[in-house]
Amino acid sequence: MSAAPTPENGLAGLTEDEALAMDYALGGLGRAERKAAELRLVGDPAFRARVEQWQTLLSPLDEATPPVAPPASVWAAIAAETTVPAPKPAAMAAKPAPSAGWWHNLSLWRGLGIGAPVAAALAVVMLAQPGAGNDPGGDAVAVAGGPQLRATLAGADGKPLLAAAFDPASGQVRFAPVAQNDAGAGKVPELWVIEGSNPPRSLGIIDISAGTAHSIPRDRLAGVKQGAILAISIEPIGGSPTGTPTGPVIATGALTAA
Amino acid sequence: MSAAPASAGAAELSRLLARAAEGDAAAFQIFYDRTSAKLFGVILRIVMERQEAEDVLQEVYVTVWRKAATFDPARASPITWAATIARNRAIDRLRARPARPMVPVEAAHDLADDGPAPDAGLVASHDARRLAEALSLLEPRHAAAIRACYFEGVTYDELAARENVPVGTLKSWVRRGLLRMRGQLEASEA
Repeated sequence: MSAAPTPENGLAGLTEDEALAMDYALGGLGRAERKAAELRLVGDPAFRARVEQWQTLLSPLDEATPPVAPPASVWAAIAAETTVPAPKPAAMAAKPAPSAGWWHNLSLWRGLGIGAPVAAALAVVMLAQPGAGNDPGGDAVAVAGGPQLRATLAGADGKPLLAAAFDPASGQVRFAPVAQNDAGAGKVPELWVIEGSNPPRSLGIIDISAGTAHSIPRDRLAGVKQGAILAISIEPIGGSPTGTPTGPVIATGALTAA
Repeated sequence: MSAAPASAGAAELSRLLARAAEGDAAAFQIFYDRTSAKLFGVILRIVMERQEAEDVLQEVYVTVWRKAATFDPARASPITWAATIARNRAIDRLRARPARPMVPVEAAHDLADDGPAPDAGLVASHDARRLAEALSLLEPRHAAAIRACYFEGVTYDELAARENVPVGTLKSWVRRGLLRMRGQLEASEA
């Protein structure tokens, strides 16, 4: 390993990527710059590796921070949210699922992957791609035939990102106005439905290209009704390895009557 | 870092995470018991508010539980992985605060006075000692800026205002300091 003395100004040859990786790992960036860096982290493995190197280099500093035992109530809350088996799906036909329980914990969604704000930015990127068109009426998608449901899927900031129209009769979901499926190299979007307080259930890998219709196997459709939440997360190719979302959730929205 | 062979503790924590990834709640609880005080300390130092720190800690461990399967022992030690999640969540929380009240000048640490000594007594591991030494070789203001960012989540903008220097100057202090630290670590490894 070269132990060459650092040049006079100490910054010769420092690339922008390296500087950004240092800044992000150290934690000095403001909110917007952090989000931009996190967007890079999602789709740029080389950048992610640089950041991880700096994180690893700096992490022994944590030993200088005095440990503080958290109160027992924190573990109780964590245990309630993680390791307690999900209740068996009850007949919830009459009551549209309120935003409560599992779903209600937005922080949990934020905790997945690297954070919903980044995810929102990702989705915006997808929307902005050539060929996406600028469809301001994206929250209304016509699907022929059958009683339909639709959802406007929004990022964590509440800004609508894409619309989904769901036709229970045909088992199809149609998305607009997203252009290309650009989840990043080695990544795919996966569609989830969340009913009541149950954990998310996969409806499968999807292609969120504009106007693409997806047929969802009928056995997965059981119970999907008004009030359920649709969510899209970014997962490794082949889908979530765990059966629940592992990557950033880019958009979510409740199914309502069309 | 290449110089950090997985210690027995790290190997054990990795095993606990692997079991948690398979849904083993007991393993997850042991992982929590062994790591939560450290992570809570890291979070508390950044967000300062105790209730908020508890919220962040909860968020962090729910993330750890759900992402346990993605942990790769070849890329990071389990404690580094978890502490990084904690730091990032804490900083996100800090950044999300509306118009963060400016730290009064009197109350703010004067960077020039915030020397390397305060951390030294707590530092235990070989890696931590080497890093502390590399930090101590920097100009005190540069080292203090790095500490303020890392430990308190202070932004470059805030630090520059505190120090009454242009942001560009502050960034170059920090970046130069980090590069020197890395150079020092590499040299001491060689």
